[in-house]
Amino acid sequence: MNETETSAAAEEPIPDIPTRIRTGLSAGFWTSVKIIKVSVPLYVAVTLLKETPFIDLLGKVFAPVMGIFGLPGETAFAFVAAFLLNMYAAIAVMVPLNLTPFQVTQCGLMMGIAHNLVVEGGVLSTTGARGGVLTLCRLVIACAAGLLLRGLWGLWEIAAAWAMSPPGLS
Amino acid sequence: MMDILFPALLGALELSAKLILIIVPLVTLFEVLRHLPVFRRAGNLVEPMMRGVGLTRDAAVPLFTGIFLGIAYGAGIIIRVAQQKGLPARELFLMGLFLATCHSVIEDVLIFVVIGGNGPAILGVRLGLAVVLTGLMARVWKPA
Repeated sequence: MNETETSAAAEEPIPDIPTRIRTGLSAGFWTSVKIIKVSVPLYVAVTLLKETPFIDLLGKVFAPVMGIFGLPGETAFAFVAAFLLNMYAAIAVMVPLNLTPFQVTQCGLMMGIAHNLVVEGGVLSTTGARGGVLTLCRLVIACAAGLLLRGLWGLWEIAAAWAMSPPGLS
Repeated sequence: MMDILFPALLGALELSAKLILIIVPLVTLFEVLRHLPVFRRAGNLVEPMMRGVGLTRDAAVPLFTGIFLGIAYGAGIIIRVAQQKGLPARELFLMGLFLATCHSVIEDVLIFVVIGGNGPAILGVRLGLAVVLTGLMARVWKPA
């Protein structure tokens, strides 16, 4: 075990509970303020952007590449909604598309990794981490995860089909 | 213009209220509980797992908060702990990378299961990728 760390923790004087509650309330409040200062302007900017043709344009640009992930072109609009806003906005776009279970799973996986990028990127930066780099990572990882799931799902279907009809019987 | 700006500002107000209502009780709870012996024992339990992805036990609380609650609310705890413990840039980045791939897992997975997605597949790929990527990155970026 890490000796220095354990002893340092033991030496730290333990404040009484009212002090701890006071510390928690004020620290929690100031941390909230710090996050709000970053996320509110970004949220307003994204909400205003939603009213412009920009989102439609972005969807049209990305529609042709959705096939790589086994998804129809229309899902590009759901992805743009997820990237800029949140997954509830994306689901509102997805539901009328009548997607297969694989396609819904694929969307859930990729959007789960990359959503609300503008606001969360700002929040990540306030922690002291490299927000921009991490946001780029999320997009790259979402694509990698999409390719991985497509491959795994394909294998799974081949295995299931093989199990249903053993070579000897067909 | 006003009819667009007004809902945006109302939404912003709602977002702020939500952040305060979740972060303040969370940080207070954390301050009250963090001196309990149970906390330290839980830390000992997760330490070997954390080491596999290049993190120390100092990052355990913010990591698990992020995995279950998500980045925006988790950030309250992440900022607090980073200040208190002085988490190094390497550890902040590794934790960020893990959380980028795998965060807010309960809410995220459930809403897609509701519309017909495969929950275990979503969760499995995200968790697996997070562990593999962060573990790899921890071996590429050696501690100073």
